[in-house]
Amino acid sequence: MDSAAAPGKATSDQQDWKIGVDIGGTFIDFCALETRSGRVASLKVLTTPDDPGAELMTGLSLLAEREGLEPAAVSRFVHGTTVGINTVIQRRGVSLALMTNAGFEDVIELARLRMPDVYSLFCSRPDQLIARDMIFGIPARLRADGSEIEAPDLEAVAAAVAKAKANGAAGIIVSFLHSWRTDIHEVAVKQEIGRIAPELFVFTSSEVWPVIREYERTTTAILNGYVHPRVAGYLTALEEKLLSRGVTAPALLTKSNGGVMNADEGKRSCVQMLLSGTASGVTGAAWLARRAGEKHILTLDIGGTSADFALIIDGEPQFGTGELVGEFPLHIPSVSVSSIGVGGGSIASVDAQGVLRVGPESAGSTPGPACYGRGGEQATVTDAMAVCGWLGHSQMAYGQLQIDVGLARAAVTRLAEKIGRSAEEAAQAIIDIAISEMFVEVEKLASRAGVDLREFTLMPFGGGGPMLGAFLAREFHMAKVIGAPRPGVVSALGGLVADLRGDFIRTVFTHLSDEAAPQMREALDALALEGRNWLAKQGHAGAATLNVSADMRYVGQSFEIEVPIQPAWIAESKLGAIEEAFHAMHARLYDFHDPDGAIEIVNLRLSAIGAGPALEIPVNAREDGEAAIPEREIPVFTGKSFEWIGLYRRDRLRPGSRFAGPAVVAQEDTTFAIPSGAHVEVDRQLNLHLTFSE
Amino acid sequence: MFDPLNLQVFANHTRAAAENMAYTLQRTAHSAFVKETEDFTVMLINRKGETFGVPMGLGATWYPGLTYTRAIAMIDDYKPGDVAFTNDPYSCFVATHAPDTHLWKPVFYDGEIIAWTGGHIHNTDMGGAVPASLSRALTEIHQEGIRFPPMKLVNEGVFDEDILKIMTTNVRKPDLNIGDMKALVGALNTGERKILAMVEKFGRQAFLEGTEVLLDHAEAQARDLLSAMPDGTWEFVDYADEDSVEANPCRLKLTLTIRGDEAILDFTGSDPQLGSSLNVPSGGDPRHTMLLVGVYYVLYTLNPKILLNTGLTRPFTCITPKGSVLNPIAPAAVGMRSLTCARLRSVIFGAFCQAVPEKLPAAPAGNNCIVNVMTTDERNGRTVIAAVNPVVGGGGGMPHRDGTNGSGADAAYLKNTPIEITETEVPIEFVKYGLAKDSGGAGRWRGGLATEMAFRVFSPGSRITARNRDRSFFRPWGTLGGRAAGLSDMVLNPGRDDFQRLGNIDTTILQPGDVLEIRSAGGGGRGNPIERETWRVAQDVARGYVSSEAAERDYGVVIRDGMVDEAETEKIRTARSAPTGHFHYGPEREGYETQWTPEAYDLLTDLLQGLPIHWRFFTKTEIFRRMKGRVGAEGVAAAFADVRARFTNMPSPAEARKEAAE
Repeated sequence: MDSAAAPGKATSDQQDWKIGVDIGGTFIDFCALETRSGRVASLKVLTTPDDPGAELMTGLSLLAEREGLEPAAVSRFVHGTTVGINTVIQRRGVSLALMTNAGFEDVIELARLRMPDVYSLFCSRPDQLIARDMIFGIPARLRADGSEIEAPDLEAVAAAVAKAKANGAAGIIVSFLHSWRTDIHEVAVKQEIGRIAPELFVFTSSEVWPVIREYERTTTAILNGYVHPRVAGYLTALEEKLLSRGVTAPALLTKSNGGVMNADEGKRSCVQMLLSGTASGVTGAAWLARRAGEKHILTLDIGGTSADFALIIDGEPQFGTGELVGEFPLHIPSVSVSSIGVGGGSIASVDAQGVLRVGPESAGSTPGPACYGRGGEQATVTDAMAVCGWLGHSQMAYGQLQIDVGLARAAVTRLAEKIGRSAEEAAQAIIDIAISEMFVEVEKLASRAGVDLREFTLMPFGGGGPMLGAFLAREFHMAKVIGAPRPGVVSALGGLVADLRGDFIRTVFTHLSDEAAPQMREALDALALEGRNWLAKQGHAGAATLNVSADMRYVGQSFEIEVPIQPAWIAESKLGAIEEAFHAMHARLYDFHDPDGAIEIVNLRLSAIGAGPALEIPVNAREDGEAAIPEREIPVFTGKSFEWIGLYRRDRLRPGSRFAGPAVVAQEDTTFAIPSGAHVEVDRQLNLHLTFSE
Repeated sequence: MFDPLNLQVFANHTRAAAENMAYTLQRTAHSAFVKETEDFTVMLINRKGETFGVPMGLGATWYPGLTYTRAIAMIDDYKPGDVAFTNDPYSCFVATHAPDTHLWKPVFYDGEIIAWTGGHIHNTDMGGAVPASLSRALTEIHQEGIRFPPMKLVNEGVFDEDILKIMTTNVRKPDLNIGDMKALVGALNTGERKILAMVEKFGRQAFLEGTEVLLDHAEAQARDLLSAMPDGTWEFVDYADEDSVEANPCRLKLTLTIRGDEAILDFTGSDPQLGSSLNVPSGGDPRHTMLLVGVYYVLYTLNPKILLNTGLTRPFTCITPKGSVLNPIAPAAVGMRSLTCARLRSVIFGAFCQAVPEKLPAAPAGNNCIVNVMTTDERNGRTVIAAVNPVVGGGGGMPHRDGTNGSGADAAYLKNTPIEITETEVPIEFVKYGLAKDSGGAGRWRGGLATEMAFRVFSPGSRITARNRDRSFFRPWGTLGGRAAGLSDMVLNPGRDDFQRLGNIDTTILQPGDVLEIRSAGGGGRGNPIERETWRVAQDVARGYVSSEAAERDYGVVIRDGMVDEAETEKIRTARSAPTGHFHYGPEREGYETQWTPEAYDLLTDLLQGLPIHWRFFTKTEIFRRMKGRVGAEGVAAAFADVRARFTNMPSPAEARKEAAE
């Protein structure tokens, strides 16, 4: 436990706790703030995959024991659950049927055709969540303008329901062509199913996410239905457990868009939470960055098997659609996070041509790196860091892990012997390779976004981010690295601070012209109403922010860019302002624009935001810059040879402390490796600021 | 000095630079061809002109082994900031049809050229006889658009306005071309910056060595794969359905010889260069990248960690007789070489799958049909031109998995367009877009299913083009007991009285209310279908992938009321004899080859080889006209005698050969 202010236990009527919880693969993280005292507590508990939710109760007990937390004093409880995404990854969802237009039953199998591994004759798609024998083509057809060619054949619906039930379907997804324009067919079929088989749950594609593009809309609705019963069951049980524990605050859930929603919403809109884990990490990082006065951030979250990256531009996370849930793309707005399968557990090997490689195989969390002493024998990135001396000076993960450098050395030595090098040389090469793998992904990310990383600050978090982050920052000549006080629980912090956020979309698909103005006004009014209603249903009483944007393109292009716009531009038919905003965004992203080009507006989007808690975490009075004193000197292999460098304890670093790299900062949840050339200064919120002299 | 311990790091920085170039190009390009179809490539090129790095995530798959050496050498006196270009297929055999415009740029460091960056874009149109510059019917390169031999496009950072003016005057969509070329120049500049950053990181000497070491490593990986294969010689033949408007088959023949860690690909026996635009301009380069695309797929499939660069072409030597379809001489047309390249990949797959039968799949569908519609929007009278979905087939049955449905293998780079988008923008109505039942070759592992697409038009004179259609007669083959796949087809008004099968043609005109159905071929099956688990067959039937008739006929599985009749199935399966032969080609090819036997083709090849190049395709066509009722080598000899009698001034093969020898 640590705290920014002097600790002092208080009784329940004096306490006001806000708690963020994030579940990872190995640990469940807690970040709890007692607002009256400004005390921040964080902890990690091993997950209990067989009994999801039990670890939550363990954590609450520990907080009560160690911090005197009174359940009744919890005013905000935000939870990021992995039940949904694990259901998809482990293929443990319910049996579903899909009803769609006859003649188009293969919509999810064909997807968008292109596959990721284009050079392989073995490239293939994942098995779909609904097999073809549970997909029923219903004679029915709308035109693109919403007019009807053929009404749904309700007898075919009845026959399909009978067959779906006989095959064990628990629910049905209804997705018809052009339901982005009008949902009449989907509603008619849903009603018919409800009439003849009320025991089946039904989701229509237009109620889940009414966007144009049939594959994207259908697959998103399927993901929602696939995880729905399991997620709903989990949330109901969770609510009961919290109540029985005396926590009366409503449970909030983190969403893929970086915001939160209430549990009732989560039981229906399950698809909204699937990528919440990575998203709330970015939310937490953005919050920390704003407090530290940083605008442009590259986040780096390294776990055992992967590294996740995200850009925060002008303090705001970036959004995208088509992020992957397991093997399936999700088309609701999600915080854009790039991932690569290289993490602390990635295994190093020597290939047939004698070349040293890292990954993609990973020792994961079980058995984990050799140095964890849990039976892992192959050399991993973490082992390489241990061999070089960066790791092994303190416990990890709040005392749940011990590093055995001897085991790391043995594993790396076995590999080094194959290529006739010393263990340290091999270890350094493993680290360099791991960083170069990340370099490729980050280059791609920056290139897609059209940003110059030299203007960005790196914020590493997760158990492994601080271990490698500064080295990666050097590769990009980034000006700065910022180390949060508790990098191990940034995702949990993200939930703690997140806003209520609901996203809504209307496809309008029209040329941007005066004739389209009424249609756009109508769509915007509907969106605004939907947004306000949503916030009301979340119990939000405060001010609402409604952010509006439009997906636009030049006529003839086939993908759109999202452009923030002012609602007034639509309300007052200021189409010129919308055009200008589009041209400007096109120029920023693509380096050119076409002032004479006709513009199409495909979707209008609205995000309804109810501000999260305004948290006051007290900051320390600045103490004048003083040279920090290392606990001791340790030998670390810094590339060419061993050097004696300073080992610092994070909890002894005070605001204003300064020191220079190379150095190691050990703390309860991670270890910071600080390369030579880095100057470190501790700010008033106890962040480490690393700057570099060339 | 380059430390080999750094190889992976160097490879990753190379890849990052290449990906960065690709994103820059995709972001800034103007045309749909570049932005969405991703018909472009970018590459990092070493001092000698050899490609040492390509992106893996974006772009076309054809050029990782491209060498710019010849193109670079055709220009003197490069200065910093220069960019050179060409689109001429015959100047240096870097560009392979006129729309593909290749650019390259020197990267200077301390006054010397230490590397190059390069790439190509497919221009929407380069002028010439037809819009988009591509038609199978074209017969000489001059009809296929304006050609620029290698010359400087940018001088020390300044575009040559004269060249841009010439292009603007000659092409149909100059803004797109020039926008895309400028985007590519931007990508080359990005690559240059990234290369200089690599020089800074690794040092000049280590960088230069690194670009060699990457090639050596790819070469070593390729050689290890070849060494793991048995030594031997394998022959394989495949055909494109039609060689030209004459509609005779176009034959490609490969004799693959593997010795130790090297391989020779001898294409002798392939057709003479054609009087259509299906020719592949390799210039006879024994390691031309177009000839080796199939090899890249094989190598990558066997070792997904293989580095893609020019190094992996080194163990391979291709032999392409001059004047043949794979080594045409000017002015043969080459615009539609992509159709022939699909067959070229099949012969490579067919030869290698004999060498390592346990490791490779059966034939993919191999017809990457691109469909375009030109029609009138009845609401406003405007002409609409749009690309509709590609209609592609499945992958071949794999060693441990069914072939991928509706795409996969060497077609996996293609994308479709949502029905909802197309119907909103183009006044057509889709009737069907899905997988075709019974189109995958039967096998222990079934071939991937074909795609079928049908749509209705509403305006008179709606013009449809379906480029790259093939496999409407010669099926994708099955292997190791697996069966050949279903054929591609194009049908006007299916299910109506006035329905009409359109064969292998690639353009048609539709009238209001007409429905056009286009189907691709499927993927070939792999392994004896009798050995496929009955539950898989039953599942295929339940999913509508296989009909119950086909289940019984092809798999010997009897399905009654959705359940396998085990007793009946057992009886049928025991009675079936095991299939023989490595390949199953289907009845059409078997029938064709009873007339056109290997001996017949050997003689034909020999006779044509003896004629001057400009006589060969003509003579082939005339012989085919006289083969009715004739069979085998004797038939060819008789037909040839008839041709000689008819065209008395034809040079005699023997004399022509003698002249050639002198």
